[in-house]
Amino acid sequence: MSVLQIHNLSKSYGKIKALDNVSFDVPKGSVFGLLGPNGSGKTTLLSIILDILGSDTGSYSWFGEASTYVHRKRIGSLLETPNFYHYLSAVQNLRVTHSISQRGDEAAIDEVLKTVNLYERRNSRFSTYSLGMKQRLAIAGALLGKPSVLLLDEPTNGLDPVGIAEIRDLIKGLATAGHTIIMASHLLDEVEKICDHVAILKYGKLIASGPVQSVLADEDCYLVNAKDKLKLVAIMQNFPGVGRIHETAEGIECYFKQTDLDPETINQYCFGHQLVLNQLVQKKKRLEEKFFELTGQP
Amino acid sequence: MFLNIIKTEWLKLKNYLAFWLLLLATAISYPGINAIVYYGYDESTKPKNQSGQLIIMLVGNPFHFPEVYHTTAFLSSFFTFIPAIVVIMLITNEYMFKTHRQNIIDGWQKKTFVWGKFISVVLVSLIVTLFYIAVATVLGYIATPDVAKVEVFAKAKYMPLFFLQIFTQLSFAFLLGLLFRKAFVAYGIFIFYGLIFENVAVAFLKIKTKQFGGVDYGQFLPLEISDRLIPIPAFIGRFNEADYKIALANMDKHIAYSLVFVLLTWILSFFIFKKRDL
Repeated sequence: MSVLQIHNLSKSYGKIKALDNVSFDVPKGSVFGLLGPNGSGKTTLLSIILDILGSDTGSYSWFGEASTYVHRKRIGSLLETPNFYHYLSAVQNLRVTHSISQRGDEAAIDEVLKTVNLYERRNSRFSTYSLGMKQRLAIAGALLGKPSVLLLDEPTNGLDPVGIAEIRDLIKGLATAGHTIIMASHLLDEVEKICDHVAILKYGKLIASGPVQSVLADEDCYLVNAKDKLKLVAIMQNFPGVGRIHETAEGIECYFKQTDLDPETINQYCFGHQLVLNQLVQKKKRLEEKFFELTGQP
Repeated sequence: MFLNIIKTEWLKLKNYLAFWLLLLATAISYPGINAIVYYGYDESTKPKNQSGQLIIMLVGNPFHFPEVYHTTAFLSSFFTFIPAIVVIMLITNEYMFKTHRQNIIDGWQKKTFVWGKFISVVLVSLIVTLFYIAVATVLGYIATPDVAKVEVFAKAKYMPLFFLQIFTQLSFAFLLGLLFRKAFVAYGIFIFYGLIFENVAVAFLKIKTKQFGGVDYGQFLPLEISDRLIPIPAFIGRFNEADYKIALANMDKHIAYSLVFVLLTWILSFFIFKKRDL
């Protein structure tokens, strides 16, 4: 079952098309990464599904129903920047969050403040917080009452390395507990480590979506090596189904369109051409490489 | 729903020092202006000689019950610009902190947000009205020689009229805050419009009444429409009895005009907030 279904969403700002016919589903219980370079439409998309922006065309539904404010109460959200009353403390701000969303209670407020390590500063005014502390409070607000769905836009923004690791572990823990997490991030490493599903946006267009493995697995890459590298390259260029071949410091990288290629086949092929391999490694393509490839970034 | 809105707005405001300081400034300004005028009057009429008696004959007893409710309402209405800061701040703060977005993200409907502000403006208007009633009542007791012989509440109608006037004008201030989103812009426009532009426009339109088919369009301007709910006090009216009588006769019409204006202001506020991207 899908927690969120997005169907042909489009949004323009004058002549600029911020979102162009975007459709995808977020499965229940998944950790869904929304990736894209700056200006790709990630925040516009999240703003539309939180009813902050209106779309020009298209529709979306939460929990299999047409979206209403009732659904938003069940979603813990952090969108762009931490938005709180500057003159109120962390506790007072979260009381406002609780009053509106009806999520959690007084004990839950203390609990989430402890979770994000803000409990000691719970009575300090928001205006006195550092950027990292403001971000932690926003995460605390999203976590309040343990909502079944979390929507986090760049959740580790402004956090130090320890804070990033803590939030990452927190998200993993919530995912294990069955929460659905939708996370927009430009940190590809983060998405790769945490997410099991991904959607990639570029200039408002969806260019790939689905389980991380399937988005990555449209090509296989093998690193091969032999004493006679020139002969190896010449032999591999004639291998059936081979794509690009790169010579690197580590050896020869060969890309294959066929994704279920057995390494034994390559080994036999080379041996059949009187060449003994001294290295044969299947390289898992990283999301970062795939992202750059898809978005045409360097 | 409304209990939740009131509770949430209270959570936003109860620890907001600037809000309480501005209400305090309003609470001080009302007795301030009225006390100044009262003591001026009191000093002028104290001498038991002819001049003192002449002034009493001329201006009457504006601070005696029941006229004090009229006089104080009129004098207090000059200080609407202080609660107007409060109201403009209520909405522009939300834009400044982007909490208007967060309120919606957390689960409020856009109309719930505007209802919250509507209730806040009603409450500020009520608090300000209570200040006025307290000042008028205290002054009335101080100034009236024999309270038992007068009908204290004969002019109590000025209490709801004062509320309607302040609510109408604060609703206009709110609309400016909602439209311009930045406190200094909204407040600057409110002050410039209220103190200068509208006064000039009202005077101009009054002169041009004949050219506009005998209709004084100045009476329909945003602040003037409710300014005329409380005409000049009787002691000033004596200097131009004819105009004073017309002003008194037009009060009922302006109740209707003000109610329509309030309704349109809030319909527009709901519409703008609903249609605007946050």
